[in-house]
Amino acid sequence: MNTVNTDVLVIGGGPAGLAASIAAHDAGAKVLLIEREQRLGGILKQCIHDGFGLVRFKEKLSGPEYAERFIDVFKEKEIPAMLQTFVTESKKTDDGFLTTVVNHEGVTKIESKAMILATGCRERTAKQVSIHGTRPAGVFTAGTAQNFINLMGELPSKKCVILGSGDIGLIMARRLTLEGAEVVGVYEVKSTPSGLTRNIHQCLNDYGIPLHLSHTVTRVFGDDRLTAVEIAEVDDKMAPIKGTEEIIECDALILSVGLIPENEIAENLGVQLDWHTKGPLADESLMTSVPGIFSCGNALHVNDLVDYVSESGEIAGKGAAAYAASARKAAPKAVDLEAGENTLYIVPQKVTLPEGDASEKTIVYFRSKEIFDKSIFRIQNEKGEVIFEKKYPFLRPPEMEKVLVDFGAFDLANGGKLTATIEEVTA
Amino acid sequence: MTEQTIVCITCPRGCTMNVKQDGDEITVTGNSCKRGEVFAVNELTHPMRTICSTVSTAFPESPVLPCRVSTDIPKEMIFDVMKEINKVVVKERIGRGDVIIPDVLGTGADVIATSDLLK
Amino acid sequence: MSEIKTIQRKLNRKFGGAVKATREDDLIRLTGTLSTWEDIVKAGSMAVSKDKRKVHVVNDIQLAGADPVPVRTPVLKDDALEGRTPDVLIIGGGVSGAAIARELSKWDLDILLVDKESDFAIQASGRNDGEVHVGVDLGKGSLKQKYVLLGNHMFDEVCKELDVPFRRIGQYACFTQPYLKPFVTLYSKWRKYHDGVKDVSIVGREQLHRDNPTLNEDFAFAMYNSSAGIVSPYNLTIAYAENAVQNGVEVSLNTMVTAIHNEYGTIRSVETNRGTVFPKVVVNAAGVFADEVAEMAGDRFYSIHPRRGTDTIQDVKSNKIIHTVASIVEVNKAYLTSHTKGGGLMQTVHGNVLAGPDAVETREKENYATHPESIRTIYTKQQKTVAAASPRDIITYFTGVRAPTYEEDFVIEWGRKAKNLFHVGGIQSPGLTSAPAFALDVEKAVVERLKGSMTVEPNKDYDPHRQGIPELNKMSPEQREEYIKKNPDYGIIICRCEEISKGEILDALNSPFCPPTIDAVKKRVRPGMGRCQGGFCSPLVTQIIAEHAGIQNADVRKCGERSVQLYGKTKEGQA
Repeated sequence: MNTVNTDVLVIGGGPAGLAASIAAHDAGAKVLLIEREQRLGGILKQCIHDGFGLVRFKEKLSGPEYAERFIDVFKEKEIPAMLQTFVTESKKTDDGFLTTVVNHEGVTKIESKAMILATGCRERTAKQVSIHGTRPAGVFTAGTAQNFINLMGELPSKKCVILGSGDIGLIMARRLTLEGAEVVGVYEVKSTPSGLTRNIHQCLNDYGIPLHLSHTVTRVFGDDRLTAVEIAEVDDKMAPIKGTEEIIECDALILSVGLIPENEIAENLGVQLDWHTKGPLADESLMTSVPGIFSCGNALHVNDLVDYVSESGEIAGKGAAAYAASARKAAPKAVDLEAGENTLYIVPQKVTLPEGDASEKTIVYFRSKEIFDKSIFRIQNEKGEVIFEKKYPFLRPPEMEKVLVDFGAFDLANGGKLTATIEEVTA
Repeated sequence: MTEQTIVCITCPRGCTMNVKQDGDEITVTGNSCKRGEVFAVNELTHPMRTICSTVSTAFPESPVLPCRVSTDIPKEMIFDVMKEINKVVVKERIGRGDVIIPDVLGTGADVIATSDLLK
Repeated sequence: MSEIKTIQRKLNRKFGGAVKATREDDLIRLTGTLSTWEDIVKAGSMAVSKDKRKVHVVNDIQLAGADPVPVRTPVLKDDALEGRTPDVLIIGGGVSGAAIARELSKWDLDILLVDKESDFAIQASGRNDGEVHVGVDLGKGSLKQKYVLLGNHMFDEVCKELDVPFRRIGQYACFTQPYLKPFVTLYSKWRKYHDGVKDVSIVGREQLHRDNPTLNEDFAFAMYNSSAGIVSPYNLTIAYAENAVQNGVEVSLNTMVTAIHNEYGTIRSVETNRGTVFPKVVVNAAGVFADEVAEMAGDRFYSIHPRRGTDTIQDVKSNKIIHTVASIVEVNKAYLTSHTKGGGLMQTVHGNVLAGPDAVETREKENYATHPESIRTIYTKQQKTVAAASPRDIITYFTGVRAPTYEEDFVIEWGRKAKNLFHVGGIQSPGLTSAPAFALDVEKAVVERLKGSMTVEPNKDYDPHRQGIPELNKMSPEQREEYIKKNPDYGIIICRCEEISKGEILDALNSPFCPPTIDAVKKRVRPGMGRCQGGFCSPLVTQIIAEHAGIQNADVRKCGERSVQLYGKTKEGQA
């Protein structure tokens, strides 16, 4: 059995892990990246649509193009990576972490000073949204359908219904249409769409695919292959309304009903999770509740744009490198940051305050709970004093917002609590 | 005079714009940047779209290769361009940015590979 | 008054003359028309004879205005079996048929097992909770009671021989009312000394909560059976079938019996969609269809009334809530009249939490649809067992259909009007527990019968041992390393949730009998059983199966012949 050691161990070779590896490497750390698939790039390998990199590169790139820009840099810097390698166990040791991985060569033990968990997210399944009826072939998550079409070149449906208006669902509606399938409609249980507005326009409206809000799929039919689904209108508590049921003949049900950060490794290491984000609680360097373990990308919280995934990877990479080099001192002061009224979540959930006059702006991500028109996002301390404030023409839950906050500029008390709120300003 | 609402798809911001057309004169409000205005005017005169898809390859381990058009093409030509894309079989180990179909259907756009996965 | 008259009177009172009961030889036949299925079942239950081991109810009552329920039939049609003359034809590839096939394979016999489905354990044997029961609630004198006690004791050895994971985790029947303790204690003593349920004991409040801190704190005491266990029902069935195949049994799946020719009380031939076979002895282990097979053979003397049950499976992550089998016992009228006292919450052999099942009478023998009400029923009850049991942790749920007779007992005997037909009918819970035991009795009976017309020698090559597929994720790193060095595919993880390697998937495909389908692989080595439910691995598993079988990806089915996954390539000229 092999044993290797490194300063920073990065788990996951998608956009977060790639950016984290490069950033940690650039900060002088010895880095090793573990990727469970054959190729680097994570889910971007199958996201062949465009729209990636607008923030970072000011270009409209496809997923593979975006990922490969990072992969090129990663390779150029000769950062070591173990591909098709799977983490079977990870535990804390006196001076860091001991992680066991397997690949076709055998079992390897990896000692590391710090760890970055860039494990991405997974899709909610049919059973998790309580779909009943039979269990035929033809029920796919949007990501699985995307894999079949974009990586394998196989058509999983000729006529489908899509449940959920998440971005992957909208993208797949267009993709299936382009590849010759008929998309009968997209059904969304909420009264507002889950995906970005532009995707509703360029993926549905452009192709005449109807979006039915406040509707859900209640049952599937078919013993072998799916033959139909039953849809129904839902009330304001999202419960199906009796008498509104309608049977739609189709051969597939494609689900885009939410993403869940993958944090099984984190949980086994005792990392505390935030029930809002389903990702770890993190500080401004994206270090979790377990010192030395960092989290980034969609494992931390589900992002709307890959550009932010890379950004969080870079923050975590820098933080992990500093931790491994012991340059990161125990912060004398830290405050909690909480999602308050109308705020779905906020990341980071803890901010350590710089010493002395050193002042560095902290990147803060948040989402609103509902759709709001003109509103004000505020961060306030316990006394109600406003630490940060920003006006928005509108806020929508599908769109993640990012702000830069200079927490050091305020004389914040150690152990204090800051609360983020959104106030809709009526005209 | 006609008036309509258009959602800009140029960037994820997705601005909702109000577009007024009076003869040849088009006024756009609600956009956050110049690209929004260009998009709105195009939508009224000659809507343009991109296509991302895959092309078939001769390599069994990677049966399809991602591709896209190098610049936007007229919206009404999407399915015609798809037909062209579906005919291609890539036999060389080409990479990102390499042209698969030059000037597809005379649109001025090339169909280009968007991945190095064959390399 | 004769029994039939009493029954008729009761039926008249309930159904106002719509149902007629007739005594024929050794059965009670019900005829007439009723407007609900519940009433038809009720009528059947009301007609059960006092002499129910011998006299069965045959329920021919029609449902008003209803068409017959269609049976799922195989697509396959060929003459692969045409003219075959097996010594024994076993109909049914569930745990009964598979166990019988394996026991019979000790003998040098020509044995053919057919099942209309595309794999073993597709129906009830693959759709139950996998509990190895103790029989504490079964009446003495029933076949269920006889075989459950025998079968339970056999599990350690059988599972060792067949290399199937089995754990005796014990079962608690929990009571909230302290005043019931003396009665339940007496009851348990009676069961112990009179009925032979030797492992039963009463556990007091303190010990109960010390050993099981997650249980509802209101429980005053529990009846405990240490010999209750858990097994994967489909893994056991598949293991039995594989061992049978290794020992020379021929299996033909997607093969449905369509007609049986009975000449003067003896079955001469059996028609299937793959040709006509001419067996010496036929074993009817057709599960919910056992009565229909009996009818084809002109020997229907019992009725099956399907009863569906739904179970849920929770994420392994939630398994701290239970390490045993436990359920609240709510002593009320519903409990005393219910046929399903079992079930509850349990940890499965694979470390998941299973909750269920419920019990709903149904006309449809093969309708495996699930319903939201079932989930509600299960959790309403089981949250009283363990408050932390939460539907939020569910990763999947499934429905199975039980095959009870109106006597609610097994029918394990030679035919009455077809003397070379052996019935293994009415096999419902505790059928899984009982199968190892009754399979031995069926073996004896069949061999004895065959000896009357031929010489039956032992199978010299018989080997009771079947080797399971190695489970890499359960190995020490050292052992794992050793396996990967021998076969690098063991190091390539395909299913991330259950940590299943390509090597294990290929082992499954190379096992003695594995259909090239996603579900067959899933049942044998578990890719897709985890929290993502195959979202990530199903494309990879599809490709591995296609490559292994030398077929196109689009030809890989989910389960049966018709369960198409993919419709073919998106592009022309794709490699």
